[in-house]
Amino acid sequence: MTVAIADSIGKDAVAENQTFPLDEDNDTLLFEKLQEHVLAHYPNPERKGCPDPAVLKSLIETPGEVTLAALNDLHIFKCAECTRLLMELRQQKKHEASE
Amino acid sequence: MLLPSPSELCWGIKLPPEQKWLEKAIHFAVSNIWQRAHRIARSQLGDESQTLEMIEIAIGKAVDRLQLNSQASPEEVTQLLERLYLQEVRHRRKANNRIVLVGASEDLSSTSTHHPQSLVDSAIDLDIILQNIPPEVRFALLLRYSQSRWNEIAAVLGTTEASIRLRCKRALNRIRQKLEDKKHGL
Repeated sequence: MTVAIADSIGKDAVAENQTFPLDEDNDTLLFEKLQEHVLAHYPNPERKGCPDPAVLKSLIETPGEVTLAALNDLHIFKCAECTRLLMELRQQKKHEASE
Repeated sequence: MLLPSPSELCWGIKLPPEQKWLEKAIHFAVSNIWQRAHRIARSQLGDESQTLEMIEIAIGKAVDRLQLNSQASPEEVTQLLERLYLQEVRHRRKANNRIVLVGASEDLSSTSTHHPQSLVDSAIDLDIILQNIPPEVRFALLLRYSQSRWNEIAAVLGTTEASIRLRCKRALNRIRQKLEDKKHGL
């Protein structure tokens, strides 16, 4: 990869020339493992710091309308309850799409 | 994996034409500290895997400071960059110490994944992995976690798929490494 330090070459132009040895399926596997890790290590039965369930629903259905602040930043990566709800919402969406 | 060159580490720097000197000075400084930075990471943190990220952080801080100073020589920029790099190394070494020094070694064999201390350690691990990640990358990771596809994420963020994947790559590699370490009980 050849990258100039400045000039008019921006991040996007650089990125277009980047190859990704890991395909999307491998990324999917990684996120599944991360999900398992979160479910095992981050129980949050009192739902401390959890975003509103409606925000999680929007994250699945209309992600462009959700903000990082509404999600309480990276809270979901540290919350088994939110992760579980996300999984349910995803299943629900798949189910609706298949009908 | 091929290591990027010092030039590649500077690709994110975007400055107005009147500050082109700074880009050249930063490039000079990165080349100068490159080998030493790797040695320091190896000796102080035990591995070199965080070197690139720490240099990038040091570059960002150096640029912020030097934009107000048009008189700095390349040597002075090198000194500043090295100082900021060492600062980041110290910061991470302290963070690592906080993890390493929890409990006694004989406790490790009896620690289950649901042990309260284990939960705290895991939280610290992820916090360290995800610290200093820009908001756009954080949001992209959350969207990917919610099973959005990369092309959908790119559309939401108004960028290209390749660009956002590149920006997330380092964080994903670190998460992957952490999960591998956990799997092998490291």
